Amino acid sequence: MPRALDDDVALAAQGDPSAFERLYRTHVARIHSLTRRMLGAHEADEVTQDVFVRTWQKLGQFRGDSAFGTWLHRLAVNVVIERRRSFAIQRERISDDQTALDLATVAPARADLTLDFEAAIEQLPPGAREIFVLHDVEGYKHREIGSMLGITTGTSKRQLHRARMLMRKYLSGS
Amino acid sequence: MTMHEEWTDKLSDYLDGELEAADRTAVEAHLRTCPECNAVLNDLKRVVSRAQGLDVRPPARDLWPGVSARIDRVAPPRRISFTLPQLTAAAVVLMAVSATLAVKLMQRPESPNTVAQAPAAAQAPLSPAPGTGASDAPIVERVSFADEQYDAAVADLEKAVKTGRGRLDKATIDIVEHNLEIIDQAIAQARDALAADPANSYLSGHLVEARRRKLDLLRRAAALAETD
Repeated sequence: MPRALDDDVALAAQGDPSAFERLYRTHVARIHSLTRRMLGAHEADEVTQDVFVRTWQKLGQFRGDSAFGTWLHRLAVNVVIERRRSFAIQRERISDDQTALDLATVAPARADLTLDFEAAIEQLPPGAREIFVLHDVEGYKHREIGSMLGITTGTSKRQLHRARMLMRKYLSGS
Repeated sequence: MTMHEEWTDKLSDYLDGELEAADRTAVEAHLRTCPECNAVLNDLKRVVSRAQGLDVRPPARDLWPGVSARIDRVAPPRRISFTLPQLTAAAVVLMAVSATLAVKLMQRPESPNTVAQAPAAAQAPLSPAPGTGASDAPIVERVSFADEQYDAAVADLEKAVKTGRGRLDKATIDIVEHNLEIIDQAIAQARDALAADPANSYLSGHLVEARRRKLDLLRRAAALAETD
Protein backbone atom coordinates (compact mmCIF):
# COMPACT_ATOMS: atom_id res chain seq x y z
CA MET A 1 0.00 0.00 0.00
CA PRO A 2 1.42 3.44 -0.87
CA ARG A 3 2.62 5.38 2.14
CA ALA A 4 0.02 8.15 1.76
CA LEU A 5 -2.82 5.63 1.57
CA ASP A 6 -1.43 3.81 4.58
CA ASP A 7 -1.44 7.11 6.47
CA ASP A 8 -5.02 7.80 5.39
CA VAL A 9 -6.15 4.44 6.77
CA ALA A 10 -4.53 5.25 10.11
CA LEU A 11 -5.99 8.76 10.18
CA ALA A 12 -9.45 7.58 9.20
CA ALA A 13 -9.32 4.90 11.88
CA GLN A 14 -8.83 7.73 14.37
CA GLY A 15 -11.98 9.45 13.10
CA ASP A 16 -10.56 11.82 10.47
CA PRO A 17 -13.33 12.28 7.85
CA SER A 18 -11.00 14.00 5.35
CA ALA A 19 -8.70 10.99 5.32
CA PHE A 20 -11.73 8.75 4.95
CA GLU A 21 -12.93 10.76 1.97
CA ARG A 22 -9.56 10.22 0.30
CA LEU A 23 -9.93 6.48 0.89
CA TYR A 24 -13.43 6.68 -0.56
CA ARG A 25 -12.18 8.45 -3.68
CA THR A 26 -9.45 5.84 -4.14
CA HIS A 27 -11.72 2.80 -3.84
CA VAL A 28 -15.21 3.87 -4.87
CA ALA A 29 -14.92 2.80 -8.52
CA ARG A 30 -14.00 -0.76 -7.63
CA ILE A 31 -16.67 -1.04 -4.94
CA HIS A 32 -19.37 0.49 -7.13
CA SER A 33 -18.46 -1.86 -9.98
CA LEU A 34 -18.81 -4.80 -7.61
CA THR A 35 -22.20 -3.73 -6.27
CA ARG A 36 -23.49 -2.81 -9.73
CA ARG A 37 -22.50 -6.15 -11.19
CA MET A 38 -23.83 -8.18 -8.29
CA LEU A 39 -27.04 -6.30 -7.53
CA GLY A 40 -27.79 -4.22 -10.58
CA ALA A 41 -27.46 -0.52 -11.36
CA HIS A 42 -30.67 0.40 -9.53
CA GLU A 43 -29.22 -0.67 -6.16
CA ALA A 44 -25.54 0.04 -6.70
CA ASP A 45 -25.44 3.64 -5.48
CA GLU A 46 -27.27 2.97 -2.24
CA VAL A 47 -25.36 -0.20 -1.43
CA THR A 48 -22.03 1.46 -2.23
CA GLN A 49 -22.87 4.13 0.31
CA ASP A 50 -23.82 1.41 2.80
CA VAL A 51 -20.43 -0.21 2.25
CA PHE A 52 -18.53 2.97 3.05
CA VAL A 53 -20.64 3.77 6.10
CA ARG A 54 -20.00 0.23 7.37
CA THR A 55 -16.31 0.67 6.59
CA TRP A 56 -16.23 3.86 8.68
CA GLN A 57 -17.84 2.01 11.58
CA LYS A 58 -15.49 -0.95 11.34
CA LEU A 59 -12.21 0.79 10.62
CA GLY A 60 -11.23 0.37 14.25
CA GLN A 61 -11.15 -3.38 13.65
CA PHE A 62 -8.79 -3.19 10.66
CA ARG A 63 -5.52 -4.67 11.88
CA GLY A 64 -3.52 -4.44 8.67
CA ASP A 65 -3.27 -8.23 8.34
CA SER A 66 -4.19 -7.78 4.67
CA ALA A 67 -4.10 -4.81 2.33
CA PHE A 68 -6.79 -2.27 3.11
CA GLY A 69 -8.27 -2.70 -0.38
CA THR A 70 -8.58 -6.46 0.15
CA TRP A 71 -10.23 -5.95 3.53
CA LEU A 72 -12.60 -3.36 2.09
CA HIS A 73 -13.52 -5.58 -0.84
CA ARG A 74 -14.38 -8.50 1.38
CA LEU A 75 -16.46 -6.22 3.60
CA ALA A 76 -18.29 -5.00 0.48
CA VAL A 77 -19.03 -8.56 -0.62
CA ASN A 78 -20.48 -9.24 2.84
CA VAL A 79 -22.67 -6.13 2.66
CA VAL A 80 -23.98 -7.23 -0.74
CA ILE A 81 -24.73 -10.72 0.52
CA GLU A 82 -26.49 -9.34 3.60
CA ARG A 83 -28.53 -7.09 1.34
CA ARG A 84 -29.67 -10.07 -0.67
CA ARG A 85 -30.49 -12.05 2.42
CA SER A 86 -32.34 -9.19 4.01
CA PHE A 87 -34.79 -9.33 1.16
CA ALA A 88 -35.12 -13.07 1.57
CA ILE A 89 -34.33 -13.71 -2.05
CA GLN A 90 -31.07 -15.58 -1.68
CA ARG A 91 -32.51 -19.06 -1.57
CA GLU A 92 -34.74 -18.60 -4.58
CA ARG A 93 -32.01 -17.06 -6.64
CA ILE A 94 -29.45 -19.71 -5.84
CA SER A 95 -31.85 -22.55 -6.53
CA ASP A 96 -31.10 -25.00 -9.26
CA ASP A 97 -34.39 -24.19 -10.94
CA GLN A 98 -33.72 -24.16 -14.65
CA THR A 99 -36.81 -22.05 -15.29
CA ALA A 100 -35.12 -18.82 -14.31
CA LEU A 101 -32.33 -19.52 -16.71
CA ASP A 102 -34.68 -20.41 -19.53
CA LEU A 103 -36.57 -17.19 -18.99
CA ALA A 104 -33.44 -15.07 -18.84
CA THR A 105 -33.15 -12.66 -21.70
CA VAL A 106 -29.94 -11.46 -23.20
CA ALA A 107 -29.29 -7.93 -24.33
CA PRO A 108 -29.09 -7.36 -28.07
CA ALA A 109 -25.65 -6.63 -29.45
CA ARG A 110 -24.55 -3.01 -29.37
CA ALA A 111 -21.54 -1.16 -30.67
CA ASP A 112 -19.98 -0.76 -27.24
CA LEU A 113 -18.98 -4.33 -26.51
CA THR A 114 -17.72 -3.59 -22.98
CA LEU A 115 -21.03 -2.08 -22.00
CA ASP A 116 -22.81 -4.95 -23.71
CA PHE A 117 -20.85 -7.40 -21.65
CA GLU A 118 -21.73 -5.47 -18.48
CA ALA A 119 -25.37 -5.30 -19.53
CA ALA A 120 -25.41 -9.03 -20.15
CA ILE A 121 -24.02 -9.68 -16.66
CA GLU A 122 -26.87 -7.64 -15.19
CA GLN A 123 -29.38 -9.76 -17.04
CA LEU A 124 -28.09 -13.05 -15.72
CA PRO A 125 -30.38 -14.70 -13.15
CA PRO A 126 -29.25 -13.16 -9.83
CA GLY A 127 -27.88 -16.35 -8.24
CA ALA A 128 -25.81 -17.21 -11.30
CA ARG A 129 -24.81 -13.58 -11.67
CA GLU A 130 -23.28 -13.18 -8.25
CA ILE A 131 -21.31 -16.39 -8.61
CA PHE A 132 -20.12 -15.34 -12.08
CA VAL A 133 -19.02 -11.96 -10.72
CA LEU A 134 -17.34 -13.40 -7.64
CA HIS A 135 -15.53 -16.16 -9.57
CA ASP A 136 -14.74 -14.86 -13.03
CA VAL A 137 -14.56 -11.12 -12.39
CA GLU A 138 -13.32 -10.93 -8.81
CA GLY A 139 -11.30 -14.12 -8.70
CA TYR A 140 -12.77 -15.88 -5.68
CA LYS A 141 -12.56 -19.70 -5.53
CA HIS A 142 -15.63 -21.95 -5.38
CA ARG A 143 -14.72 -22.90 -1.82
CA GLU A 144 -14.68 -19.24 -0.77
CA ILE A 145 -17.91 -18.51 -2.63
CA GLY A 146 -19.59 -21.51 -1.02
CA SER A 147 -18.54 -20.25 2.39
CA MET A 148 -19.71 -16.69 1.71
CA LEU A 149 -23.07 -17.68 0.25
CA GLY A 150 -23.78 -20.74 2.35
CA ILE A 151 -23.99 -23.06 -0.65
CA THR A 152 -22.05 -26.13 -1.72
CA THR A 153 -19.11 -25.87 -4.08
CA GLY A 154 -21.10 -28.11 -6.44
CA THR A 155 -23.93 -25.57 -6.61
CA SER A 156 -21.41 -22.80 -7.13
CA LYS A 157 -19.85 -24.70 -10.05
CA ARG A 158 -23.21 -25.46 -11.66
CA GLN A 159 -24.36 -21.86 -11.41
CA LEU A 160 -21.07 -20.62 -12.81
CA HIS A 161 -21.33 -22.91 -15.81
CA ARG A 162 -24.91 -21.81 -16.48
CA ALA A 163 -23.88 -18.19 -16.24
CA ARG A 164 -21.02 -18.71 -18.66
CA MET A 165 -23.27 -20.52 -21.13
CA LEU A 166 -25.70 -17.61 -21.06
CA MET A 167 -22.89 -15.14 -21.54
CA ARG A 168 -21.64 -17.25 -24.47
CA LYS A 169 -25.07 -17.06 -25.98
CA TYR A 170 -24.91 -13.30 -25.75
CA LEU A 171 -21.41 -13.01 -27.17
CA SER A 172 -22.22 -15.27 -30.09
CA GLY A 173 -25.36 -13.26 -30.79
CA SER A 174 -27.51 -16.38 -30.99
CA MET B 1 -29.92 -34.19 -20.70
CA THR B 2 -28.43 -35.35 -23.99
CA MET B 3 -25.11 -37.13 -24.28
CA HIS B 4 -23.68 -33.96 -25.76
CA GLU B 5 -24.84 -31.83 -22.79
CA GLU B 6 -23.12 -34.25 -20.47
CA TRP B 7 -19.84 -33.23 -22.07
CA THR B 8 -20.53 -29.51 -22.32
CA ASP B 9 -21.55 -29.43 -18.67
CA LYS B 10 -18.03 -30.49 -17.78
CA LEU B 11 -16.31 -27.83 -19.84
CA SER B 12 -16.32 -25.09 -17.19
CA ASP B 13 -14.80 -27.43 -14.63
CA TYR B 14 -12.29 -28.53 -17.28
CA LEU B 15 -11.42 -24.94 -18.07
CA ASP B 16 -10.96 -24.14 -14.37
CA GLY B 17 -8.85 -27.23 -13.67
CA GLU B 18 -11.51 -28.56 -11.31
CA LEU B 19 -11.84 -32.06 -12.82
CA GLU B 20 -10.34 -35.21 -11.40
CA ALA B 21 -7.61 -36.76 -13.53
CA ALA B 22 -9.83 -39.47 -14.99
CA ASP B 23 -12.57 -37.01 -15.98
CA ARG B 24 -10.03 -34.63 -17.41
CA THR B 25 -8.54 -37.38 -19.58
CA ALA B 26 -12.02 -38.35 -20.78
CA VAL B 27 -12.94 -34.77 -21.66
CA GLU B 28 -9.68 -34.28 -23.54
CA ALA B 29 -10.30 -37.47 -25.51
CA HIS B 30 -13.79 -36.25 -26.38
CA LEU B 31 -12.54 -32.82 -27.40
CA ARG B 32 -10.18 -34.40 -29.93
CA THR B 33 -13.15 -35.81 -31.81
CA CYS B 34 -15.87 -33.21 -31.23
CA PRO B 35 -15.62 -29.85 -33.06
CA GLU B 36 -18.85 -28.66 -31.43
CA CYS B 37 -17.50 -29.07 -27.88
CA ASN B 38 -14.27 -27.43 -28.96
CA ALA B 39 -16.26 -24.43 -30.19
CA VAL B 40 -18.14 -24.24 -26.87
CA LEU B 41 -14.88 -24.46 -24.95
CA ASN B 42 -13.38 -21.63 -26.97
CA ASP B 43 -16.47 -19.51 -26.38
CA LEU B 44 -16.26 -20.16 -22.63
CA LYS B 45 -12.60 -19.13 -22.69
CA ARG B 46 -13.62 -15.87 -24.34
CA VAL B 47 -16.30 -15.25 -21.69
CA VAL B 48 -13.84 -15.82 -18.88
CA SER B 49 -11.19 -13.69 -20.55
CA ARG B 50 -13.65 -10.82 -21.02
CA ALA B 51 -14.80 -11.09 -17.42
CA GLN B 52 -11.26 -11.03 -16.10
CA GLY B 53 -10.45 -8.01 -18.23
CA LEU B 54 -13.36 -5.83 -17.13
CA ASP B 55 -12.42 -2.36 -15.97
CA VAL B 56 -13.90 -0.73 -12.94
CA ARG B 57 -16.14 2.27 -13.48
CA PRO B 58 -16.95 4.98 -10.96
CA PRO B 59 -20.58 5.78 -10.18
CA ALA B 60 -22.31 8.22 -12.50
CA ARG B 61 -22.84 10.67 -9.64
CA ASP B 62 -20.77 11.62 -6.63
CA LEU B 63 -21.89 9.45 -3.72
CA TRP B 64 -19.61 11.07 -1.15
CA PRO B 65 -22.10 13.70 0.10
CA GLY B 66 -24.50 10.91 1.06
CA VAL B 67 -21.73 8.94 2.77
CA SER B 68 -20.49 12.04 4.55
CA ALA B 69 -23.95 12.91 5.86
CA ARG B 70 -24.41 9.40 7.21
CA ILE B 71 -21.04 9.04 8.91
CA ASP B 72 -21.66 12.37 10.62
CA ARG B 73 -24.56 10.70 12.40
CA VAL B 74 -22.73 7.58 13.55
CA ALA B 75 -19.94 7.17 16.06
CA PRO B 76 -16.46 7.60 14.56
CA PRO B 77 -14.30 4.51 14.33
CA ARG B 78 -12.33 3.70 17.43
CA ARG B 79 -10.00 1.01 18.42
CA ILE B 80 -10.79 -0.78 21.65
CA SER B 81 -7.46 -0.84 23.34
CA PHE B 82 -5.91 0.05 26.63
CA THR B 83 -2.46 1.33 27.50
CA LEU B 84 -0.15 -0.92 29.49
CA PRO B 85 -0.42 1.26 32.62
CA GLN B 86 -4.23 1.10 32.36
CA LEU B 87 -4.18 -2.67 32.08
CA THR B 88 -1.70 -2.97 34.94
CA ALA B 89 -3.80 -0.74 37.18
CA ALA B 90 -6.95 -2.67 36.36
CA ALA B 91 -5.23 -5.98 37.11
CA VAL B 92 -3.93 -4.70 40.44
CA VAL B 93 -7.37 -3.44 41.45
CA LEU B 94 -9.05 -6.69 40.48
CA MET B 95 -6.47 -8.76 42.34
CA ALA B 96 -6.87 -6.59 45.42
CA VAL B 97 -10.64 -6.81 45.51
CA SER B 98 -10.62 -10.53 44.78
CA ALA B 99 -8.09 -11.22 47.52
CA THR B 100 -9.96 -9.07 50.04
CA LEU B 101 -13.29 -10.67 49.29
CA ALA B 102 -11.80 -14.16 49.24
CA VAL B 103 -10.30 -13.63 52.71
CA LYS B 104 -13.61 -12.31 53.98
CA LEU B 105 -15.50 -15.28 52.58
CA MET B 106 -13.00 -17.76 54.04
CA GLN B 107 -13.57 -16.20 57.45
CA ARG B 108 -17.32 -16.94 57.22
CA PRO B 109 -18.76 -19.80 59.29
CA GLU B 110 -19.22 -23.09 57.39
CA SER B 111 -22.39 -23.19 55.38
CA PRO B 112 -24.06 -26.21 53.75
CA ASN B 113 -24.14 -24.25 50.51
CA THR B 114 -21.01 -22.20 50.07
CA VAL B 115 -22.04 -20.59 46.81
CA ALA B 116 -23.64 -17.22 47.28
CA GLN B 117 -27.21 -17.13 46.14
CA ALA B 118 -28.42 -14.77 43.50
CA PRO B 119 -32.04 -13.71 43.62
CA ALA B 120 -34.48 -16.30 42.42
CA ALA B 121 -35.19 -14.40 39.23
CA ALA B 122 -31.59 -14.78 38.16
CA GLN B 123 -31.18 -18.44 38.99
CA ALA B 124 -31.58 -21.48 36.83
CA PRO B 125 -29.77 -24.34 38.57
CA LEU B 126 -28.27 -26.94 36.31
CA SER B 127 -29.47 -30.47 36.93
CA PRO B 128 -26.73 -32.88 37.97
CA ALA B 129 -25.85 -35.45 35.38
CA PRO B 130 -27.69 -38.74 35.95
CA GLY B 131 -25.69 -41.27 37.90
CA THR B 132 -22.94 -38.86 38.87
CA GLY B 133 -23.95 -38.59 42.49
CA ALA B 134 -23.61 -34.87 42.14
CA SER B 135 -26.79 -33.99 43.98
CA ASP B 136 -24.85 -32.84 47.05
CA ALA B 137 -22.59 -30.53 45.09
CA PRO B 138 -23.06 -26.79 45.53
CA ILE B 139 -25.64 -25.35 43.22
CA VAL B 140 -24.08 -23.90 40.11
CA GLU B 141 -25.87 -20.82 38.96
CA ARG B 142 -26.64 -19.96 35.38
CA VAL B 143 -27.59 -16.36 34.98
CA SER B 144 -29.55 -15.18 32.03
CA PHE B 145 -28.42 -11.86 30.64
CA ALA B 146 -31.80 -10.90 29.29
CA ASP B 147 -31.99 -7.30 30.48
CA GLU B 148 -35.12 -7.57 32.60
CA GLN B 149 -33.89 -10.59 34.54
CA TYR B 150 -30.37 -9.27 34.87
CA ASP B 151 -31.51 -5.86 36.04
CA ALA B 152 -33.76 -7.48 38.63
CA ALA B 153 -30.86 -9.58 39.94
CA VAL B 154 -28.58 -6.56 40.14
CA ALA B 155 -31.26 -4.49 41.87
CA ASP B 156 -31.86 -7.21 44.47
CA LEU B 157 -28.16 -7.61 45.17
CA GLU B 158 -27.60 -3.86 45.39
CA LYS B 159 -30.46 -3.71 47.87
CA ALA B 160 -28.90 -6.53 49.90
CA VAL B 161 -25.52 -4.76 49.90
CA LYS B 162 -27.16 -1.50 50.93
CA THR B 163 -29.08 -3.21 53.73
CA GLY B 164 -25.97 -4.89 55.09
CA ARG B 165 -23.65 -1.99 54.42
CA GLY B 166 -23.34 -1.24 58.12
CA ARG B 167 -21.77 -4.66 58.66
CA LEU B 168 -18.95 -4.00 56.14
CA ASP B 169 -15.78 -2.15 57.03
CA LYS B 170 -15.00 1.07 55.15
CA ALA B 171 -12.07 -0.41 53.18
CA THR B 172 -14.27 -3.17 51.79
CA ILE B 173 -17.03 -0.71 50.90
CA ASP B 174 -14.51 1.53 49.12
CA ILE B 175 -13.10 -1.37 47.12
CA VAL B 176 -16.54 -2.63 46.12
CA GLU B 177 -17.79 0.80 45.11
CA HIS B 178 -14.63 1.64 43.19
CA ASN B 179 -14.80 -1.59 41.23
CA LEU B 180 -18.50 -1.24 40.56
CA GLU B 181 -17.73 2.17 39.09
CA ILE B 182 -15.06 0.68 36.81
CA ILE B 183 -17.35 -2.13 35.71
CA ASP B 184 -20.26 0.25 35.09
CA GLN B 185 -18.01 2.38 32.91
CA ALA B 186 -16.99 -0.71 30.93
CA ILE B 187 -20.64 -1.68 30.51
CA ALA B 188 -21.60 1.82 29.34
CA GLN B 189 -18.71 1.95 26.86
CA ALA B 190 -19.54 -1.49 25.48
CA ARG B 191 -23.21 -0.51 25.10
CA ASP B 192 -22.27 2.71 23.26
CA ALA B 193 -19.94 0.84 20.95
CA LEU B 194 -22.58 -1.81 20.29
CA ALA B 195 -25.12 0.88 19.43
CA ALA B 196 -22.80 1.90 16.60
CA ASP B 197 -21.93 -1.66 15.62
CA PRO B 198 -24.67 -4.02 16.78
CA ALA B 199 -23.31 -7.07 14.97
CA ASN B 200 -19.90 -6.94 16.59
CA SER B 201 -19.46 -10.24 18.43
CA TYR B 202 -16.35 -9.03 20.26
CA LEU B 203 -18.27 -6.14 21.78
CA SER B 204 -21.19 -8.41 22.66
CA GLY B 205 -18.84 -10.75 24.47
CA HIS B 206 -17.20 -7.81 26.21
CA LEU B 207 -20.57 -6.55 27.43
CA VAL B 208 -21.68 -9.96 28.67
CA GLU B 209 -18.39 -10.41 30.50
CA ALA B 210 -18.60 -6.98 32.15
CA ARG B 211 -22.17 -7.65 33.26
CA ARG B 212 -21.14 -11.04 34.60
CA ARG B 213 -18.32 -9.41 36.59
CA LYS B 214 -20.72 -6.88 38.05
CA LEU B 215 -23.13 -9.58 39.13
CA ASP B 216 -20.31 -11.62 40.62
CA LEU B 217 -18.91 -8.67 42.56
CA LEU B 218 -22.33 -7.74 43.91
CA ARG B 219 -23.03 -11.32 44.89
CA ARG B 220 -19.77 -11.51 46.85
CA ALA B 221 -20.40 -8.18 48.51
CA ALA B 222 -23.95 -9.23 49.43
CA ALA B 223 -22.63 -12.46 50.94
CA LEU B 224 -20.12 -10.48 53.02
CA ALA B 225 -22.76 -8.00 54.14
CA GLU B 226 -25.01 -10.86 55.16
CA THR B 227 -22.44 -12.72 57.27
CA ASP B 228 -20.03 -10.07 58.59
